[in-house]
Amino acid sequence: MAESFRNGNPLVPQLGRIINIVEETPDIKTFYITTDQGKPFTPLPGQLAMLSLLNVGEAMFSITSQGPEHLEISIKKVGTLTEAFHEAEVGQTVGIRGPYGNGFPLEMFYGKDVLFIGGGIGLAPVRSLINYCIEHRDKFGHLWIIYGARSPADLCFKKDLFENWPKVENCRVDVTVDKGDDTWTGHEGFVPAFVEELKPTPQGRVAVTCGPPIMIKFVLQVLEKLGFKDDQIVTTLEMRMKCGIGKCGRCNLGSKYVCLDGPVFTLAQLKELPNEY
Amino acid sequence: MLKVKRDKLPQVLSVWSEEAVVYTPQEEDGVSTFRPWTGQAEVTFKPGSTVLPPKELFFPRTEEMYRYRVEGQAAFLEELSLPQQKCVLVGVRSCDARSLLLLDDVFLTKGYVDEFYRRRRENTLVVALACREALDTCFCTSLGVDPARAEGVDIQAWEKDDGYLLQATSERGKALLDKVGTLLTEVSEEPPAGARPSLEVDPEGVTEKLQRMFEHPFWDDLWHKCVGCAACTFLCPTCHCFDIQSENRGNEGFKFRCWDSCMFAEYTRMAGGHNPRPTRKERVRNRILHKLRYFPERYGKLGCVGCGRCLERCPVHMDITKIIQAIKEVALDG
Ligand SMILES: Cc1cc2nc3c(=O)[nH]c(=O)nc-3n(C[C@H](O)[C@H](O)[C@H](O)COP(=O)(O)OP(=O)(O)OC[C@H]3O[C@@H](n4cnc5c(N)ncnc54)[C@H](O)[C@@H]3O)c2cc1C
Ligand code: SF4
Ligand code: SF4
Ligand code: FES
Repeated sequence: MAESFRNGNPLVPQLGRIINIVEETPDIKTFYITTDQGKPFTPLPGQLAMLSLLNVGEAMFSITSQGPEHLEISIKKVGTLTEAFHEAEVGQTVGIRGPYGNGFPLEMFYGKDVLFIGGGIGLAPVRSLINYCIEHRDKFGHLWIIYGARSPADLCFKKDLFENWPKVENCRVDVTVDKGDDTWTGHEGFVPAFVEELKPTPQGRVAVTCGPPIMIKFVLQVLEKLGFKDDQIVTTLEMRMKCGIGKCGRCNLGSKYVCLDGPVFTLAQLKELPNEY
Repeated sequence: MLKVKRDKLPQVLSVWSEEAVVYTPQEEDGVSTFRPWTGQAEVTFKPGSTVLPPKELFFPRTEEMYRYRVEGQAAFLEELSLPQQKCVLVGVRSCDARSLLLLDDVFLTKGYVDEFYRRRRENTLVVALACREALDTCFCTSLGVDPARAEGVDIQAWEKDDGYLLQATSERGKALLDKVGTLLTEVSEEPPAGARPSLEVDPEGVTEKLQRMFEHPFWDDLWHKCVGCAACTFLCPTCHCFDIQSENRGNEGFKFRCWDSCMFAEYTRMAGGHNPRPTRKERVRNRILHKLRYFPERYGKLGCVGCGRCLERCPVHMDITKIIQAIKEVALDG
């Protein structure tokens, strides 16, 4: 539950500020956010934050990582607010409220091998879970990260992909790009086809996938082909959101509110809900 | 039973006005709505509910949430004080009284409490007025609402030719009656029977039926005549969707919320243009499913109170009672 109900109103943000900015790709930057009282709140992997520039706007973002004193949020430049964030500099005051959403169902992963499949900025929510699994390494089996982006320049979290994660014990990282360039020596091709080539087995394994809707759609088909059952597959949804607390009605999927009951669902749960996302 | 003579009612309201704003149904530009009573000698209650439901007294059409000021990289936020005003709402019909209980489910349960709403609810006493007469569009009894006895209110009133019978239904209601004790008389009259709406529909089983009808061709025709005006949702006493916007002037402004409607295309459209409910088909389906399936699934009761506002005011006569009937008549295999 939100910890900071200032004046009792959960729709009023705390003020925080940007203390570091990492340029991930030409259109994605990661912002480190803290407040005068330290970390705004302590989210579970997969939870969300409503982040605002007060005179521009407010939108929902996944919390991709956290430290003892800050939260990390990766923002892709797509419109008014996200462009304004890309122009912001260290020291900028922001509004932040949360944590929102259910986060990943950790119990489901304990003792299992975990397969992470991400595309583009879709790695952002998954990354919070990857980092959690690494921090609590003995609670999880083999970790396997399969990630792709449009081009080498569009690969997000390069330091994690090429330095940090491959060093983790019993962890494998496979990266692909839709189209390489002169310097690219890695795999070329779309994520779903790459997964099919790599043939992860479903025994004792849970799969988590997040990315553009079209990628998710084909990844789900591949996983099904490989023998993964609906209750072994977890994904996260995006719907338009305003309140983040299950009141404004905007993000409903049947009788569920994605901001509160999601954004993380197993494929089995999704199939029970109206196909309206 | 206590009774207030018709000509004494203004005095009762006047006493209550000493400590609270008293709202009564009044016409404004020909549209009836709850307005502050300002001493009018004539207080009348027309049959049926007001055109605009009382929800706006608890969940205003627009509500400022906080103010801000930006100076370079710095920003300052000023919170607004929570509503303090005490209110007495007089003349609420049973259907609308039920609607407030449904809004309570939305704003006060499931993990988060909407503090603005809670304060307004707590600061407001509700005096319900039984219906002697139903409108052609009323079908409250079909939803289990009793036109002669409202749920969750503080005082129940019944209109007689020469005055009003009054019964406190909460402690706070009793205190309110005590305050005007000298204007009331103890009578041995019985409350009159409530209205019997002629419009009826049996919603039994409709939620379960709809759980199997999301993809049904039923929805393919229903929406064609809908013009997407959203009158149905704005007038509905249980619709609660809102948008959050800011009003920005230079380097300062305020954040507010305002009513919104799932009947608008913009409502669900996402950055990038993708819209999970792209046409009026999906939007009409969502409104009907929200009232009859999603709300019951989430809160355990139907989201319609049978007030009839939507069917009376829809420019193309979309009629939820006919829709319920039609859903019940759909043949499903298996
Ligand atoms: C649960 C959830 C988690 C999210 N997590 C993240 C996250 O971690 N990182 C992140 O960056 N975003 C995330 N988002 C999305 C984020 O909320 C939106 O990107 C943001 O609201 C856009 O706001 P804006 O003001 O910049 O865009 P707006 O100005 O509101 O709209 C953008 C406009 O620009 C155009 N446009 C926008 N996107 C595209 C596109 N992809 N292609 C072409 N044209 C486009 C369209 O005309 C659109 O109307 C998440 C959303 C949800 C619901
Ligand atoms: S009032 Fe009628 S026409 Fe207007 S949005 Fe509702 S159903 Fe459609
Ligand atoms: S759906 Fe129509 S009849 Fe039912 S409560 Fe809303 S406005 Fe009244
Ligand atoms: S964003 Fe308001 S209900 Fe989900």
